[in-house]
Amino acid sequence: MLACRQVSKSYKTERGLVTAVAGIDLDVAAGRFAAIIGRSGSGKSTLMAMVGGLSRPSAGSVIVDGTDVWALSDNALAAFRNEKVGYVFQFASLLPTLRLIDNVALPALLGRRHGASGTYARAADLLERMGLGAYLDAYPSEISAGEQRRAAIARALINDPALLLADEPTSDLDEQTEIEIMEVLRAVNREVGTTLVLVTHNLALAEQAQQIIHIANGGIVANGVVVA
Amino acid sequence: MRLLASLALQNLGRRRARSLLLIAAVAIGSGVVFTGATLMRSIDDSMAVGFTRLGADMMVVPEGALTNITAALLTVEPTDLVLDADALDKAHLASVGRAAPQKIVRVEHSGIGSHHDLVDLIGIDPARDFTIQPWLKEKLNRDLRAGDVILGAGRDAPLGSQMLIFGKPHVVYGQLGRTGVGTHERGVFMAFETLEALAGSMPQRPAVLAPGKVTGFLVELAPGSTALQARFAILSALKGAKVVTGESSLSGIRQGLAALLKGILALMGLMFASMAVMVSVLFSAIVTERRGELGMLKAIGARRSQIVGMMVAEAVIATGVGGILGVILGVLVMRLYERSLVYYLENIGVPFVWLDLLQTVAFAATAIVLASAIGALGALYPAWRASRRDAYDLVRGEG
Ligand SMILES: Nc1ncnc2c1ncn2[C@@H]1O[C@H](COP(=O)(O)OP(=O)(O)OP(=O)(O)O)[C@@H](O)[C@H]1O
Ligand SMILES: [Mg+2]
Repeated sequence: MLACRQVSKSYKTERGLVTAVAGIDLDVAAGRFAAIIGRSGSGKSTLMAMVGGLSRPSAGSVIVDGTDVWALSDNALAAFRNEKVGYVFQFASLLPTLRLIDNVALPALLGRRHGASGTYARAADLLERMGLGAYLDAYPSEISAGEQRRAAIARALINDPALLLADEPTSDLDEQTEIEIMEVLRAVNREVGTTLVLVTHNLALAEQAQQIIHIANGGIVANGVVVA
Repeated sequence: MRLLASLALQNLGRRRARSLLLIAAVAIGSGVVFTGATLMRSIDDSMAVGFTRLGADMMVVPEGALTNITAALLTVEPTDLVLDADALDKAHLASVGRAAPQKIVRVEHSGIGSHHDLVDLIGIDPARDFTIQPWLKEKLNRDLRAGDVILGAGRDAPLGSQMLIFGKPHVVYGQLGRTGVGTHERGVFMAFETLEALAGSMPQRPAVLAPGKVTGFLVELAPGSTALQARFAILSALKGAKVVTGESSLSGIRQGLAALLKGILALMGLMFASMAVMVSVLFSAIVTERRGELGMLKAIGARRSQIVGMMVAEAVIATGVGGILGVILGVLVMRLYERSLVYYLENIGVPFVWLDLLQTVAFAATAIVLASAIGALGALYPAWRASRRDAYDLVRGEG
């Protein structure tokens, strides 16, 4: 499902070249729930961005579902992000001028795969499942951070992605909300078979995963498959 | 896509003050350009010497005739000097296309207007005329015949009504539209025979009313001929004639006015350029401010064309609305100052005529399109650059 081959990313800064990810090799089988752990600044988000088609690697390749992601053309890459991947960011990421329902529907509308009315029905359904049925017409600024994160998950799911990438989706949220959100993500993984890659600081959360990848200083220090 | 368009609209609404300022700036800019262009073209047209404006390229008159021609005058001061009516025909000049002979007499106590009014009676050959009849705004539903008169736009009488000239009844056959040419506005036009029939009633019989004599000719060049060629040909063929062309009669005042207009044109160009720079700078800032959102859009699968399209749409909406407001503003200003402008121009000898509606609309459309184009161009480059960046960098706020 997901294969990284010698992926590296370095940034040019005033202090010289900073290597965020250094030659990572990684495989995640289809339908699996994988957790990435590591200290702050170890390169987790950078790796996720390269896997999700958001950040071009300095070297190496990312293969998702047999497609060499970074060999795609601009438009094909946009379609990849749109159709194959659901991405939940580490921070608030909804568009502030759109209602929740529009935010959730947007990826589907951009892709133009379904009719608008079907899309909106589906967006409403997803928000309902995230417990946000009362806020369809609300703007992001009118709901809490946890609710925004749940709406972002709904948006990530609207196009039925094969790969769900969640970068610390529960950071800065209270414990109860964290549990609820994790339930949602794991349910998607279990019931729909969506491959789930989760970045977390929370070891208890990571232990629920079938595969745990430990990253330090831009490299993998441990990669264990808990359940085959 | 509808949602992206409404996103663009909402973005404008989000920074309402800034959007309004942008719209106002563009409105002022395009308003000035539209107003300037319309006025300039109108004044430029108004400055065209009478006969040029009426569709002739030059005028052929007796050598001694007074031709202190301004835009207000269509023809020569009436004198006793005359030309032979068939002079041009006999010469068979290749450079002369059409030539319309005219007889002009200036009369007093004719019964037209108030008692001491000087009235120009202008005789035309209906078959050869090409400068009077095309201006007919309304006319009786029949051909012009003996005893009919055509009135300039400045005279008022109902069609078909009777008009006494030196006590003789005439029928008002038609009326000309406004030409801005003084002698035309106040003139009374008729066929040669009608004018000649009046000769007996005049205090002294003008030389030009003798059959076969004319005051002069209005000449249209043959296609492909130059004014210089025609001038030489006419002067060598017709003894005792002179040729008046449009350029030869611009007065100093009007040359000054023309220079002023050129200055305004240059200013307008600069104004447009600075507007373009301003919009482009503004949109660079807007794109930078919004790169997080652009990155987010890119992350969820928006194509580069969609991102660029959204930003450009936003700019085009703002500057397009500005352009439309500018045109409306310009029309209002022109209406407001029309009286004083017309008064001022007519004082310096330029009878003012507005540009026709079609051209004005074309200018308005051009101003709006240009304003929108400036918005599109101003937003295009920053948006295109941003769309090239990695979504992740944009989302993190770099770039
Ligand atoms: N655009 C950038 N320019 C320079 N350095 C960068 C850039 N992006 C990331 N880095 C550096 O790369 C390293 C990895 O960053 P990354 O965000 O991937 O860490 P992380 O593991 O996600 O950390 P956290 O747990 O805090 O989110 C860090 O040292 C960071 O400073
Ligand atoms: Mg991170």
